Amino acid sequence: MQIVDKARLRLRSLFRRPNVDCELETELRFHLDQLIEEKISSGMPPEEARRAAQRTIGGTAQYQEECRDMRRVNFVEDLVQDVRYTIRSLAKGPGFTAVVIATLALGIGANIAIFTIVHGVLLRPLDYPKPDQLMYLTAEAPAAGGARSALSAPEYIEFRQMNRSFAEVGAYSTGGAAYTTGEVNLTARDRPLRVRSISVDAHLLKALGIRPEQGRFFTDEETARWTGTLPPPIAILSHELWRTAFGGRPLVGQKVEVEGRPHEIVGIMPPGTDVMDHHTQVWLPLWLHPNMARQREAHVLYVIARLKNGVTAKAAQTELSTFLENWGDRVGTRDHVPTKRAMRSVDHTLQLRSLQDAIVGNASRPIWVLQAAVGFVLLIVCANLANLVMARAGSRRREFVLRTALGASRGRLLRQSLTEGAVMSGAGGILGLWLASAGVRALIRAYPTSIPRTSELTIDLPVLLVALGLSTGTALLFGFVSLGRRRTSSMMTALKEGARAASGAWRHYARRGLVIAQVAFAVMLVIGAGLLVQTVYNLTRIDAGFDRSRLVTFSMTLPMANSEADTRARAYQRVLDRLRSVPGVLEAAAMSGLPPNRTPDAIATPIENYTSDDGKHVAIIDYYQFVMGDYFETMGIPIVAGRGFERTDNASQGKVVIVNETLAKRIWKGQNPIGHRLRPPGGSFGASDDVWHTVIGVAKDVRQRGVERPAGTELYVSLDQHGVSPPSMNVVMRTTLAPAALSRTIERVVREVDAAVPVVRLRDMDSVFAESIRRPKLLAQLLGAFAGLALLLAAIGTYGVLSYMVTERRREIGIQVALGATRSRVLTQIMKQGLQVTAIGVTIGLAGALAVNRLIASLLFGVQPTDTVTIAFVIATITAVAVVASWLPAWRASRLDPNVVLRDE
Amino acid sequence: MAKPTDLVQGTLDLLILKTISLESKHGWAIAKRIQQVSQEALQIQQGSLYPALHRLEQQAWIKAEWRPTETGRMAKFYSLTRSGRKQLEKELATWVRLSTAINIVVQEA
Repeated sequence: MQIVDKARLRLRSLFRRPNVDCELETELRFHLDQLIEEKISSGMPPEEARRAAQRTIGGTAQYQEECRDMRRVNFVEDLVQDVRYTIRSLAKGPGFTAVVIATLALGIGANIAIFTIVHGVLLRPLDYPKPDQLMYLTAEAPAAGGARSALSAPEYIEFRQMNRSFAEVGAYSTGGAAYTTGEVNLTARDRPLRVRSISVDAHLLKALGIRPEQGRFFTDEETARWTGTLPPPIAILSHELWRTAFGGRPLVGQKVEVEGRPHEIVGIMPPGTDVMDHHTQVWLPLWLHPNMARQREAHVLYVIARLKNGVTAKAAQTELSTFLENWGDRVGTRDHVPTKRAMRSVDHTLQLRSLQDAIVGNASRPIWVLQAAVGFVLLIVCANLANLVMARAGSRRREFVLRTALGASRGRLLRQSLTEGAVMSGAGGILGLWLASAGVRALIRAYPTSIPRTSELTIDLPVLLVALGLSTGTALLFGFVSLGRRRTSSMMTALKEGARAASGAWRHYARRGLVIAQVAFAVMLVIGAGLLVQTVYNLTRIDAGFDRSRLVTFSMTLPMANSEADTRARAYQRVLDRLRSVPGVLEAAAMSGLPPNRTPDAIATPIENYTSDDGKHVAIIDYYQFVMGDYFETMGIPIVAGRGFERTDNASQGKVVIVNETLAKRIWKGQNPIGHRLRPPGGSFGASDDVWHTVIGVAKDVRQRGVERPAGTELYVSLDQHGVSPPSMNVVMRTTLAPAALSRTIERVVREVDAAVPVVRLRDMDSVFAESIRRPKLLAQLLGAFAGLALLLAAIGTYGVLSYMVTERRREIGIQVALGATRSRVLTQIMKQGLQVTAIGVTIGLAGALAVNRLIASLLFGVQPTDTVTIAFVIATITAVAVVASWLPAWRASRLDPNVVLRDE
Repeated sequence: MAKPTDLVQGTLDLLILKTISLESKHGWAIAKRIQQVSQEALQIQQGSLYPALHRLEQQAWIKAEWRPTETGRMAKFYSLTRSGRKQLEKELATWVRLSTAINIVVQEA
């Protein structure tokens, strides 16, 4: 009952406030009248009685307010009042409001967008059960520049048996040695598709801890029996491929053609399941060629392991390093085993890291750099808005003082200020959230593969909470800043001074300090962006070793299952012949691995009269390039010594190869490599046996694994000479035509040769290049945009402070001019003030940039973090911006008419 | 003369509740009544009385209604609610205990 009564009263107070107030007044009036009557009846004259009564009671306003407070709903009323008042006053200054909200929206929006990426990519655990138990095991070799590579099959099996830390250890492969590229041909309802594939063993699926959505996974036998020439014809489809390509109709138990062979679909994966961000569409049983499965030099398997419950990652690391102490003794061989410290170029070691780190890889640094950058932008935004609010507070000083005089408490005014901040940052936050979601979507569309885990990026609860936190933080900052300076002012001085605000030293320093901070942050951002822009420029200008202009390329695969090495060679030959006869196509050739971004092969190759560091006559060659046609001619790769492949070689019995400069240097160390012999394993390209090949030429180095990485060792084998071909080849044409103009012709040519083979990745070489430098480009673009924003905001800040200063010092300037100061002197004087502030900001910013720039050193290419040209350019830019920002207020000051100014006062 | 602020905290509530426990009264009458009964010792200022009345009303211990006085003017009359009566008993008990205790201390000392 009581509660209901209370609620009724509160609601009445809240919604019928005029009535309640009116009642209160009547009640107090009644009291007063009673008092007067009492005094009259005690013999006082009416007038005097009235005055005496008024005196006793005092002003009623104060306890009316107290009575209202008793109703306990005041804060709601105040809030509604404050919000209404805020909206009214903001609507009165639409320019100010628009600037504030737009700046806030940009600042908060950029932060939310980047935080969405930070959270979705770096912080959110992987989508597997107990994801922190999953670890990734890779081999690392100093010869490959410390790049992560796969394990050999024997190593994998040994590690499975040795370890005690892991509940399950599994392996996968996306193919190696020119056989697959993590893609297969798949026919869905008569439509040839090229889909992303991965070969996994049963252990891997167990280690991931996932369950099939339908059907079953592979059994141990199906994935461990590496005998015969082909893997068992079974496959698991991703949920997404099953929905899109097969319309989600029942498929388990039915046959689907994969790589030209009917495969039984044994299961469907749950939605969103993937391994290592591969965007897997079809899962095949892991299968290795029996020869490769025995070879310790063939690094073909990637290993994922799940820790036992209660075992820490650290314990597993310790265990691994004890294995590495004496791996050879444990397994009974000295032949190419992993070691603890890989010293020689033939050595390698094993590394364990968490699966999440492995997936995110080197994307984490750029993402944190971006997060720091947008953090700076938000700080600049806040500094700028604080400045704006302070300027506005100056002109609203009288209003606040008046309200204090009329009985508003300091707390009440603070609440009003905070409400203003909240309304603006709330609006900015909502707008920012919208901008962020649009921005992230656009980013994913423009750069689908540059950021890991993009399929998992969403604006979810944690992101919303951060957005809320950001908005609240800015709102608080705002409120305190706008009230902060009022604390120092006394009521009387403010009222006396009138509209002209007091020039407190504190405020001057504060405002200048804010501008200095803005300039400093802007300098740091612009230097960072400048370095990255230069990095991208350097990357685009790298000589990858071949002439990429007017080159068009595409890829096709003749499945191994329904073709022989020699029929494939003839088919590719036909494709090349027909393409050469197309008008506009000057030359056509084919290659197994498309530069400048392919996976290394790392094939152990016997070399005559050669002994490696570990006493073997075998070297691991990073890349094998199997070519057809006039490859060097078509690609524009110069032959620096000896000769290229010639037609006469095709008929000759002696097999020939060409090496790149790095291989020549590494193996023959300054001697002439021509005439030396190596024996590439025939199994790697479809030949039946291994034969000795003679080196006939040295080709200029071509970048193979990213334009920014130095070339590895590379061996060119002419497939024309062998009359065989691996299943997948990249065709390349020197042509005057664009890829779009060629696509129909190419499709027709390929269809004539084999109707079941799709043409994939048809594009010009420039786009292949653009693809390979996408991430630095994305980073440079984003950071450039943020730096531009920072620069703009800093310019606005400088302008704001100077023009405010000019307004404040109108009188002083007027007097100066009246006393004979020239206009140009006034102009220089004001500009000097602006440039002084900028100079301090630039100095601090430079110091800051030097301190933090080493963090981005690893993201740079061909430019030092302390690059003087960039720094000089940045200083010049900032100074130019500062000059523009200071000139306008200075010019206005110099135009002041002393007559007008002095009369105003 | 004791001012209400000098009253022991919460005593004003007790005085108000007690004063209107027999019949409903308006603010002025409550102040007058306390003054009379205390033989002018307690003067309740308007500035304390009305906020207190509003507080008690918000607690739902008293309820108010608009009625004409004997002179025919409309005034707000406060009376005890059921929970207010309980509250009065509670506060009375507390007061008796407290004042007895204080008396003992004062007289012993």
